[in-house]
Amino acid sequence: MARLLVTIGSIFLTLLGVSVVIFVILRLVPGDPISMMLPPGATDEVRANLERLYGLDKSIPAQYVIWLRNVAWLDFGMSTQFRLPVMEIILDRLPATLELVLLASLIALVLAFAFSILAVWLQEDSATLAIDGLAGLAQAIPDFLWALIFILAVTLFAPMMPVSGRFDPRTAQEFATNFYLLESLVTLRLDAFAELVRYAVLPALALGLPLAAGITRVLKGALEEAMAQDYVMLAQTKGKSRLAIVLGEALRNAMIPTIALTSVQLTFLIGGTVLIERQFSWPGIGSTAISAVINRDLPLIQGIVLVFALIFILINLASNELYRAADPRLRTAR
Amino acid sequence: MKKLLGLLAGTALATNVAFADDSTLTIAYNVSLPSWDATVGVSAVNPTIQSIYKSVYDQYIDQNPDLSFRPGLLTEWGWNEDRSKVFMVVREGASWHDGAPVTPADVVWSLERAGKEETGNPIQFLWSTLGNFTVDGNRIEADVLRFDPTIFKWMAFLTAYVLPKDYYTEVGAEGFEKAPIGSGPYVVDEYVANSFVRLKRYDGYWGDAPEFETVIFKFLPDASARVAEVETGASDITLEIPYEEYDRLAAKDGLNGVTTPVSDIGMIFINDVGVMEDANVRKAAAHAINKDLIVDRLLRGYGVPIDTLQAPQYAAFTAETTVAYDPEKSKELLAASGYSPDNPVKFKIQTTRGFKPKDYEMIQAVTGMWKRVGIEAEIEVYEIAKHFDLRARDALAPAAFYNWGNSIGDPSTSTGFSMFGPSPHSTWDTEDVDAMIGPLWGEEDEDARIAGYQRVDAYIAENAMVIPLLQFVQPIIYRDGLSVTPHVANFLLPQNVSSN
Amino acid sequence: MSSVESLSLEKGRGGGGTGLERSTEKISLLRMVFGCAAIGSLLIAALFAPWIAPHDPTLDDLFLINMPPAWLNDDLAYFGIEDAWAYPLGTDSLGRDVASRLIYGARLAVIVGVSVACLAALAGVILGALAGFYGGWIDNVISRIVDVWLSFPPVLLSIILVAMLGTTLTSVIIVVAVIDWTRFARVVRADVLQQRSRDYIDAARITGGSDLSILIREVLPNVLPLLVTLFFFEIGIAVTVETILSFVSLSVSSGAATWGDMIAEGRRVINEAWWVMAFPVGALVITILGLNAMGDALRFYLDPVLRK
Repeated sequence: MARLLVTIGSIFLTLLGVSVVIFVILRLVPGDPISMMLPPGATDEVRANLERLYGLDKSIPAQYVIWLRNVAWLDFGMSTQFRLPVMEIILDRLPATLELVLLASLIALVLAFAFSILAVWLQEDSATLAIDGLAGLAQAIPDFLWALIFILAVTLFAPMMPVSGRFDPRTAQEFATNFYLLESLVTLRLDAFAELVRYAVLPALALGLPLAAGITRVLKGALEEAMAQDYVMLAQTKGKSRLAIVLGEALRNAMIPTIALTSVQLTFLIGGTVLIERQFSWPGIGSTAISAVINRDLPLIQGIVLVFALIFILINLASNELYRAADPRLRTAR
Repeated sequence: MKKLLGLLAGTALATNVAFADDSTLTIAYNVSLPSWDATVGVSAVNPTIQSIYKSVYDQYIDQNPDLSFRPGLLTEWGWNEDRSKVFMVVREGASWHDGAPVTPADVVWSLERAGKEETGNPIQFLWSTLGNFTVDGNRIEADVLRFDPTIFKWMAFLTAYVLPKDYYTEVGAEGFEKAPIGSGPYVVDEYVANSFVRLKRYDGYWGDAPEFETVIFKFLPDASARVAEVETGASDITLEIPYEEYDRLAAKDGLNGVTTPVSDIGMIFINDVGVMEDANVRKAAAHAINKDLIVDRLLRGYGVPIDTLQAPQYAAFTAETTVAYDPEKSKELLAASGYSPDNPVKFKIQTTRGFKPKDYEMIQAVTGMWKRVGIEAEIEVYEIAKHFDLRARDALAPAAFYNWGNSIGDPSTSTGFSMFGPSPHSTWDTEDVDAMIGPLWGEEDEDARIAGYQRVDAYIAENAMVIPLLQFVQPIIYRDGLSVTPHVANFLLPQNVSSN
Repeated sequence: MSSVESLSLEKGRGGGGTGLERSTEKISLLRMVFGCAAIGSLLIAALFAPWIAPHDPTLDDLFLINMPPAWLNDDLAYFGIEDAWAYPLGTDSLGRDVASRLIYGARLAVIVGVSVACLAALAGVILGALAGFYGGWIDNVISRIVDVWLSFPPVLLSIILVAMLGTTLTSVIIVVAVIDWTRFARVVRADVLQQRSRDYIDAARITGGSDLSILIREVLPNVLPLLVTLFFFEIGIAVTVETILSFVSLSVSSGAATWGDMIAEGRRVINEAWWVMAFPVGALVITILGLNAMGDALRFYLDPVLRK
């Protein structure tokens, strides 16, 4: 119980630190929302009036205190671009990002498991080398370049694949939530689900490939290690096939350390949504973040950065816990 | 994986066929619409978003594709004899998307709201020049509190939209964002921010019924995504793509292209600081630029070289004011101030990158041309937000590339605001120019006003206080079976697209 | 962003490798050879750029726009040149020589990568070592700062920071270093923490070594293998981030020939002149592959535990 309280306290402390840093940085960046909305011919009075309206006429500490006081009541301010409460915009876009991240992680896991198991099963140098090479390549090409390559490939070879948005706006889809993928799956609207997956698969693949490579490297190592253990010998003497051993014994033992070691890499994947969403016009918080920066929508940037921070903190926490669970040596340390 | 992709593509094929009928127009659009209030905030002054606003709302006064004015919700307008009053006649038979009629009360409310400081209308300084509105039947009269000769032109420009008084007051600002209604040809059907908006034809529209029943604007800020959209047939029409891509796509089977010069110019602001106070340096910089070569080679011919801030379609354009390409003269001018290619004059030039077609590349080419006559300019790339910030604080570099849109084509909104010292958007601030522009703000005689601006433009060109480069050309790509009327004000209006 | 970091990081935390990824002698040798070849050619291009490059990388020529690579160039008359091999890899949308830009780009990649890695390693090692060695409130404060830093979405933060500092080579270097120093700090802290409790440190203490000398002489050498690995990865990350910033039009301006700049520019004309983008992408990928391979191989050779 006490440990839980300490954890929650430290989450808040970290978020507070994040908010101070981003608040100060944003106010040092040249350009503000007012400059963005001044038309030719606007006078200094117009500017002063608008600054007053948006509360930008006060000192930075004063602005921060006001902002923090409002945040305490879960009021993150109004977006200057969208003219809606920041919280509402974020809650509206977050599902799109989460679904993309989920699908990307899923793709990464499937690819990583398939290739690692294949490598360990085949046990041949050439296969290992090929899979190592592929993983190295997948990791060396950053996600946004993958996205670029996919978009080019689609226009050249597969014009039926969509490269923008979550679904075709020509089809009027009715959804109760913004979790389109999950909702269509749960309500068994499989046609809609397939259509949604078709739109999501390329951005998810671009995001997931580097992570897939990362997981492959770890999982392959873990599997190899597991295969050298005594119980594998035992299983072999019992006449089990190599594939059965890999899938049965080795995988079970390699799973936990792999998840522990790679879960922290999920943060890179999530951070990557900023660019990928923009490239695929995916209406999540990542693409919203870029347009917020371009338009100097300060309240919205602050809100989005905090949301990202919260997600990152939670993932780091979870990965630490998993790691602790996976590595007995650490349990005794400290 | 490949098989899986094929499978997925297969299901989509079926859906696409089912929905891509002739009654739907899908537009791959280059900006995202953030807010539905066309009179307040950042998007209100973004010229590119106006196409969407103009599909849903009516302006007081409308514009033809050649920039000439035509009735909007107002059918008649004008001043009285001594310019102390204005009158406006509101169209009969127009209605809001909820069925209620558009009344003079809506127009008065919209104008008064725009003129109030607390609303946050960025053009409030102009709308507040009218006051004390009186309504008599369909005729509105108002007092001219400060005379502005361009007020009726502004009624076809930024933030000049009529919003529904009763509905807006009932649902409030946030409610309006979520369920906006206007009196334009299209009704908002579904809006997903940063993704798309789907519009349905409004059957009660007062004007000619547009051809397409459903119009979708997909928000795709990335040019390569827009190219992919039209190339794969996911969208029917797109704009603002690289000219190389325009040429390639226009030559493709199944696609057509149309281009038009638009009310947007590229220019190099000169700040009257440092070496730029030396007229020889400024003039040398202006004469050293081969605009024709830039347009021909870099922009593949898609651009119109200009020598003043007036494009040929603007009210104060005159072919008489020119600045010749003459590198030898540049060298002489620089030599007179002691500079040469071996001992170049040095300054910084700022530019956006990827914001306008070939903006950065053009400045690269310009600095290359300058290098040959003895000007060494260091390029700094800045964002739009930073440009606005620097311009407002008059802290731009000695030279700064930017574009200047002016869809009403009036000289006060081009030369006036960009060169008049007291305007926060001017970069050049000297008394001689201010003295010439000053009296023109309140000039009642339209011909004298235009002639006055032409004299200012000639003086500015003579002294190279700004370097106009070119008028931009808008490339539009659309699929076979459509015909598109391009708009010089740079609108891509669904009501101007038809199938043939 | 590369996910290699956490891999090595976790290994560091576990104390010189949990042995999860077992590099065999043969694969390490292969990696070493490939890494040396890639990095070697990068360094040669970077050092001797002015002598290797056939043209001035920033010199434009509007009459030579988007000229194909020499072996595909069959329209010499149109471009008005006699020898296609004067521009071996063709020209870009401003008529600049792609090969020359690629070579000078290598130079900038090395400058950006090495400067970032040095800055980040310096800051990270100092803070990480302090935190790990002294523990207590110093560790608390530094770990808290690291936590805050790790909570920022890196791509978004770099975009905001570059918007703040302006688009120069220096600001790109500072931004990436500012964002990435935590990588080193975490690894060093974890390792130092572990080393601290070892017997030989106590022994050094008893013989009267000062804290600083113990840190430098006893602790850091043990962290070195991992640091070297991280250093190489960091160079790759820096070059990648520079590309990302170019991609959102926010990197080094003034026409400097960075690979990121070339990729961003080439993307706009990809259907007409693929060579403008393809060559820098190739160079970028090979460089990162080389750096990663080198990092992995070096860890294998330097780390006695992994080598056992």
